[in-house]
Amino acid sequence: MSSPVCHWVRSVLAAYLDGELKASTADAVRRHLARCESCRRRARELEEAWELLDEVKAVPVRPGFTERMMARIVEEKELQALEARLRPNRILRQVAATVLGLAAGLVLGLAIYGWTGHLREPSSPVEREVSRHMTFLEDAELLDEIAVIEAIDRLTGAGERASGV
Amino acid sequence: MGKAIAVAAGAYEHEGRRGAAADYDVGLMLAFQRGDELSFQELVERNHARVIGLIYRFIGDAADAEDLAQEVFLRIYRARPTYKPTAKFSTWMFRITANVSLNALRSRANRRDDVSIDQMGDTGDGPRGIPDGDCSMPDDHLHQSELQGKVQEAIHALPEKQQIAVVLNKYEGMSYADIARTIGCSTMAVKSLLARARDNLKDRLLLYIRTGRGRQRIA
Repeated sequence: MSSPVCHWVRSVLAAYLDGELKASTADAVRRHLARCESCRRRARELEEAWELLDEVKAVPVRPGFTERMMARIVEEKELQALEARLRPNRILRQVAATVLGLAAGLVLGLAIYGWTGHLREPSSPVEREVSRHMTFLEDAELLDEIAVIEAIDRLTGAGERASGV
Repeated sequence: MGKAIAVAAGAYEHEGRRGAAADYDVGLMLAFQRGDELSFQELVERNHARVIGLIYRFIGDAADAEDLAQEVFLRIYRARPTYKPTAKFSTWMFRITANVSLNALRSRANRRDDVSIDQMGDTGDGPRGIPDGDCSMPDDHLHQSELQGKVQEAIHALPEKQQIAVVLNKYEGMSYADIARTIGCSTMAVKSLLARARDNLKDRLLLYIRTGRGRQRIA
């Protein structure tokens, strides 16, 4: 079982192997490794795994990279020049699109307002007269019943007078 | 031309910035910023092999490495108006290289998610162009290309920042401080990254470690 010292040494082993520790810290690690076979074995394994990374060889570079790169730069400069020429037109198009959008919104708003206003406000004399008597018209059924009842009353009243009641 | 670049680098040195002072590549970039296109060409000529090599170690494909290296230098070209030499040129260049490489790795990972394991075939998820070995125990006759594939798999299995730290430290010989400046973190963080990365690599490559190889620095 590793001690707290082993635990600390293992946490700095990579930096120790890379020569990145302060001199005093590196000395402490070195002294511990001299005494501890387990940490020594771990350090050896870290080193050997690290050396295996040398198996990944550098890729040979195809000749002419610089020429190919400079040809791409020429394309890039042409693209930048084209964008610079289009930029004023692009701004104009954006302004035009904004103005058109606002105008369309205004027209739509007015149209909606006009339609709903048409429903709210009667415009012709007949419509104005109808709206004035709307309450009367809503009670038309009741008024019909009242008219019948009055008619019946008149008939019965006339009958009573005839009978002298 | 050389004198103008040296003057530019020297003028930068007078500004008292350590690290970037007297950096020839910084001088080239500043000359390019002032309109000298040939300086940019010289920057490409001086640095393209390192950039391609670094990218190749990230992604494991030579053709893609060259394409991505062009992307790196294109970004350097586009940075002309805003470039400020606050660090060594190589630190800045490698930061761009790492970003471009990581973007490429992430794109590949996203595309791979759409491919079922059954469709991966013999290449598995190893680097393209490098055949995977079989799953049997390694023996002394493990072929060079198979071992290279196993090592590259082990590197690619690391989390992104550990990969970057490993590649910059191992293949570019960068110090912890330089790596910290390149990836934008503290030296302590790099120390921790590399400690974890090397432990992970050891665990993955334990079967392939040949005893007796390597330096015997351990007391």
